[in-house]
Amino acid sequence: MYRLKALRRIVLISILVVLIFPFLVLVVWSFSQGWASNALLPSEFGLRGWRYLFSTQSAMLSSLRVSILISLVVTVLGLIICIPAGKALGSYSFTGKKVVEILVLAPIIIPTVAVGMGIQIVFIRYGLADTLLGVILVHLPIVLPYGIRIFASIYKALGTKWEEQAKTLKANGWQRFWFTTLPFLFPGMISAGVLMFNVSFSQYFLTYLIGGGKIITLPILLFPFVNSGDRVVASGLSLVFILTSLILMFAIEKIITDPEQKTNFYYL
Amino acid sequence: MVSRDSLKAYLYLSPALSVILIFFLGGFVLAFIQSLGYFPAIGQENLTVRYYGEVFRKPEFFRSLRYTFYIAIVSTTIATVIGTMLAYYLLRSSVKKSYISFLYKFPIAVPHLVAALMIVFILSQGGIVSRLFLKVGLISNTASFPAFFYTQNALGIILIYIWKEIPFVTFMVYTVMRNIHTKLGEAATNLKASPGQVLFHVILPLCMPSIISASAIVFAYSFGAFEVPYLLGATYPKTMPVWAYLNFISADLSARPIAMVINMIVSLVCAVIIFIYYLSTKKYFGKWS
Repeated sequence: MYRLKALRRIVLISILVVLIFPFLVLVVWSFSQGWASNALLPSEFGLRGWRYLFSTQSAMLSSLRVSILISLVVTVLGLIICIPAGKALGSYSFTGKKVVEILVLAPIIIPTVAVGMGIQIVFIRYGLADTLLGVILVHLPIVLPYGIRIFASIYKALGTKWEEQAKTLKANGWQRFWFTTLPFLFPGMISAGVLMFNVSFSQYFLTYLIGGGKIITLPILLFPFVNSGDRVVASGLSLVFILTSLILMFAIEKIITDPEQKTNFYYL
Repeated sequence: MVSRDSLKAYLYLSPALSVILIFFLGGFVLAFIQSLGYFPAIGQENLTVRYYGEVFRKPEFFRSLRYTFYIAIVSTTIATVIGTMLAYYLLRSSVKKSYISFLYKFPIAVPHLVAALMIVFILSQGGIVSRLFLKVGLISNTASFPAFFYTQNALGIILIYIWKEIPFVTFMVYTVMRNIHTKLGEAATNLKASPGQVLFHVILPLCMPSIISASAIVFAYSFGAFEVPYLLGATYPKTMPVWAYLNFISADLSARPIAMVINMIVSLVCAVIIFIYYLSTKKYFGKWS
């Protein structure tokens, strides 16, 4: 029995090491300065990569700004759209509900590659290609399924009792939403927001196709580095990418009082 | 007569449905129309199914379809098995819960591009593992390290997907598993079920819907993914989405409908997989709830 426990622990730890090890490699690369092609570890450490990334030559800071701007707008619009949609699916029964449930999942099912190639021609015709607005519009549908599912499950769990309670106290529609429902939605807004931000933040293909190389986000900047180019710079860029989403994720998670509860809503 | 509730529900749904219908399904419908040869820019306005025939007759078609299925099936199967095992280990282990939730959520925040870059740094011929092998004398030079990338076995791509999808599967399965374990698992233990019996007769069957849905999503993703196979895949065959893209950007505009046909096939496969998942969860839900 004891040996089984030890074995279990070894398996667990080795899996976790496999998950974490790649990050360490990135950190070491990003601070390396001299690294012979056959040496196990760099011979010299330094800030060359980081200095370059934060210099004006590199497009890191500007692409980070563009990325954050796009993903923030997408997240805010997404939340505004998803809350009423979640309410409809969570607390109403109506004709065609099954069809709508499948429709709102479509962006997870149908690959973005197909949709992007199909829609590009129309975006070009209406002047949306190569613009921030175009990229935002094409990101928007792919973040919606996550938010709608989260809000639908919250509304379902919530039922109508609280709103009815407020109704008997003569609160009008907006008051009922603002003072009664919104506090319940808050944890869901945070997990849906983080999730939608991440989905938009790491989107490559649609940004590339619709942004047409004019809208440079972090994934666009990082793309060519995956199989060629300066590994020191590539590592730094990747770390900036990961840290931005992690900082957001954990900063926001700290705000929520009950982290155990919210994980249920996290991913689908 | 439409009920008041229905009207209200559709009013609430209208922003979401318009965005999805216009900017997502609209794109899909346009891709479909273009797959039928509608392409006014080069003077083609008649609808035809001949491009479908053309794609099916291409020798690349079956190679590409098989290659894409191979990558998706292998990575999904391994990620599902290890992800579910990890969820169970996490459940049984005495490791502090907060550490665990921190650690396995970590890779979820990492985009596929960064994951690809990290695995390349580790497994390519100039990567860490190759250097380690050289150091301990397993290989004489880095070129004799086995190739993981740009190869037909697609090992590198599969490893990238597995690395990225294991935490996702764990995440989806663990939350469900924990609820079952604390309620029904303990009840079964009280009735003198062994841990193995609890796992195979209580926990796993009840977790099946979440395991199946996690793997369906993982499969649909890896089947339709573009970036990683585009950057690190073999010269031949290409995965279906990459093959579609290469036709799409071809200088020969008549290759466009071909690209759209390939897109339709990829979408159809993903839709069928999700539909099978839907049927199977329905069966499980019917059986257990």
